[in-house]
Amino acid sequence: MYGLVALGYHITWATSRTMNFSQGHAVMAGAVVAYTVFVALGWPFPLALVITLAALACYGALVERIAVRPFFLRASPAWLLATIAVGIIAENVAQLTFGKDARAFPSPLMQKPIFVGSAGFYPQELLVPVVGLLLMGMVQLFYHRTSYGKQLKAVAWNPEAAGLMGINIPRAVMASYALSAILAGVAGVLLAPLLNVAPQMGTIIGLKAFAVAIIGGLTSAPGIVIAGLGYGLVETFTAGYISTRAREIVGFGLVILVLVLKPWGLMGDKPSRRV
Amino acid sequence: MRRVSVILSIVLAVALSVVGPALAQSKEPVKIGLSAAVSGGSAASGEAIKRGLQIAIDEINAKGGVLGGRKLDLVIRDDEGNPQKGVTIARELVEREKVAAVFGGLHTTVALAQVPVWQELKTPYMGAWAAGTNITRNRQTPNYVFRVSANDDYVDRFLSRYAIEVLKKGKPGLLLENTPWGQSNEAGLTKWFGEKGIKAVGVERFNWNDPDMSPQLLRLKSAGADHIVLVANAPEGAQVLRSKAKLGWDTAMISHWGISGGRFAELTGDLSEGVTFLQTYTFSGKQNERGQYVLKMLREKYGVKEPGDVIAPVGTANAYDGLHLVARALDQSGSTEGSQVRDALENLKGEYKGLIKTYKRPFTPEQHDALTDEDYVMVVWKGGKIVPVTMK
Repeated sequence: MYGLVALGYHITWATSRTMNFSQGHAVMAGAVVAYTVFVALGWPFPLALVITLAALACYGALVERIAVRPFFLRASPAWLLATIAVGIIAENVAQLTFGKDARAFPSPLMQKPIFVGSAGFYPQELLVPVVGLLLMGMVQLFYHRTSYGKQLKAVAWNPEAAGLMGINIPRAVMASYALSAILAGVAGVLLAPLLNVAPQMGTIIGLKAFAVAIIGGLTSAPGIVIAGLGYGLVETFTAGYISTRAREIVGFGLVILVLVLKPWGLMGDKPSRRV
Repeated sequence: MRRVSVILSIVLAVALSVVGPALAQSKEPVKIGLSAAVSGGSAASGEAIKRGLQIAIDEINAKGGVLGGRKLDLVIRDDEGNPQKGVTIARELVEREKVAAVFGGLHTTVALAQVPVWQELKTPYMGAWAAGTNITRNRQTPNYVFRVSANDDYVDRFLSRYAIEVLKKGKPGLLLENTPWGQSNEAGLTKWFGEKGIKAVGVERFNWNDPDMSPQLLRLKSAGADHIVLVANAPEGAQVLRSKAKLGWDTAMISHWGISGGRFAELTGDLSEGVTFLQTYTFSGKQNERGQYVLKMLREKYGVKEPGDVIAPVGTANAYDGLHLVARALDQSGSTEGSQVRDALENLKGEYKGLIKTYKRPFTPEQHDALTDEDYVMVVWKGGKIVPVTMK
C-alpha cells in the first residue's frame, strides 16, 4: 500500500529531481473526490473512477504549475516547502467542503473476509499489492518502451540538452506531476474502503510512503515496490510480535539505517556527477 | 467653594462608577461560555453540547431569564482539542467576555489544563463531556470544577460490573487507545475488576488512525479473553470491529462511550450489530417530559428527524441538564459572582426534574459529579440504531 503511493514520488523525481512532498494529500484528494462522485452523488463506479483520475491529473498539473515550476526554473529548493503548503491547503479545503468526520466508502470486496486457516483477510487488501505491481510494470514500460517516456527520462538526465533536442521541458515536468497525482488517485480509491475517507488521512500515508521511497531508492520503481511490501511486512510483524508502540520506532529506524548504509536507497542509482 | 465642588464631583464620580454599571448590568444578559472542539474530528461533540445549551437557554429566556429578568447569552469558543488553546480561551472568556460560568467539551486533556485557571479566576466550570477522573477530583479547595457527565472511575466500575454480573464473564481483554484517556481507564478497569478478584488476561493499545488492529486482537484471543472491553473513539473503534471480523473471532464486546462520538454505524455497517456501550442518556425508547421537549426542539431547530439521528446524544443531554443546574445556582446566589455561584452549586436547594434524572442536591463539597454509575445506561447497536439494554 505504501509502495503504490511512493511510486508517485519516483515519477516526478525521475523527470525533474523534484517531488510533491504532499503526495499523501493527493491520495486523500483522490479518496474524497471518489467519495463525492460515487457515494454522495451515486454515479456508477467506472464513471466515478474516470472523473476522479481526471480531477487528480488536474490537481497534479496545478501543483506543478504553482508550487514547483517557479522554483524549478530557478533551481531553488523552495518547491519543497511550496508543495507541503499546497498539501495543507488541500487538507483544509477538504475539511471545509467534505466535512471533518471519517466516512465509509463501500466496496463489495469488504463485505466478507476470506479465511485461510484461522487467519482471514478482506479481498480489498489483496487488491492493493496486485494493482501496485501492475502499475509499477506499466510505469516501467512507459519509461523504457515509449518515446514520450524516454523524453521524460531525458529531461531528468540533462535538462539543457533535452531542451535543445526540442523537448518541451515545462510540459514534460507537468505531465510527470499529473501522472504522479493519477497514481495517488488510484491509491486513494483503493485505500478508501480500508481506511475510510477523512481529510486528515493523507499525512501519515504520505510520510510512510516517503520513507518507503527513500528505502527503495527514489530512482528505482522496482526498488520502491519491493520496499513498500517489505515495509508493510516489517510493520505487521513488529506490531504482532513486539508491540504496536514499537512499530513506528522500528519503521523509521529502518529509514535511518538505510540512509547510513546506502544513501541512495537499496536499489537506487548513485547520481552521476556532471563535470 | 472650589474645594466643595471638587469633593462633590469626586463623590459623584465614585457614585456613578458604582451605580452606573450596576444599573446597566441589571439589564445586560448573563453570559455563559463554552470551550469545546467545534472543528476537527470531534466536531460533532461540540455541536451536540452547543445544541443542549441553546435549547435550555431559549427555554429559560422564554420564561423570563435568571436573576429577575436577565437573559442568558451563549459565547462559544473553539479549543480544537488543544490544551494550550483551552487555557487561552478560558482567560479570554472570563476576562474579556465576563462570563458567569463556562461549559467544557470532549477532551480530557483540555479540561485538565483549564482546572487551575478556574480556581485562579474564581469562575465555575461545568463539564459536559470529558470523563477524566481527575478533572473533578482535582484536589483544589475550593473546587470550581463541576460535571454533569460520566467519570471514568464510575464508568470502569459500571463496565466491569456489567461484564461480571450481566455477561457472566471472567476473562477480560482490554483494548485501549494509547492516550491519557486510555491510561485513565486502564487504571480504573484494573482497579474495579481487581475488586472482584479478576485480572485482565491482556492489555493492548493502539494509536489514533491505526488501520489494522489484528495483531492486538490476536494477542488477546490467544491469551484466552472471553470478552473485550474497548476504550476508543469512532474511527479506531470501527477498525477494531473490522479486524475482529477478519479474525472470525465472535466474542462479546463492551465499550466506553467514545464510539458514539462519530459515524460509527456508517463506518462499520453490519459489524456494529450487538456492540454494547455506555451512555449517560439515550433519546431512544420511552422519554420523560423533558426528553420529549428536547427532542421536539432538536426537530424544530436542528432538523433531527428521529431519536436515532441525534448526533452525539450524551453531549446534548449533559449540557441541557448542566445549564439548568447553573441557572438555578445563579438564581439561588442572586449574583453572577463566581465564588457565590460556586457555593450555590455545592448547596443547591429544592429539586430539579431534569432530562437524565431528578437532581436533589447534585453537588456537595466532596462530590462534584452530578452523575454516577447509578445513572448510566447500557445501549446496544441494533440495525444501525442505538437501542437501550435492559439491565438484569
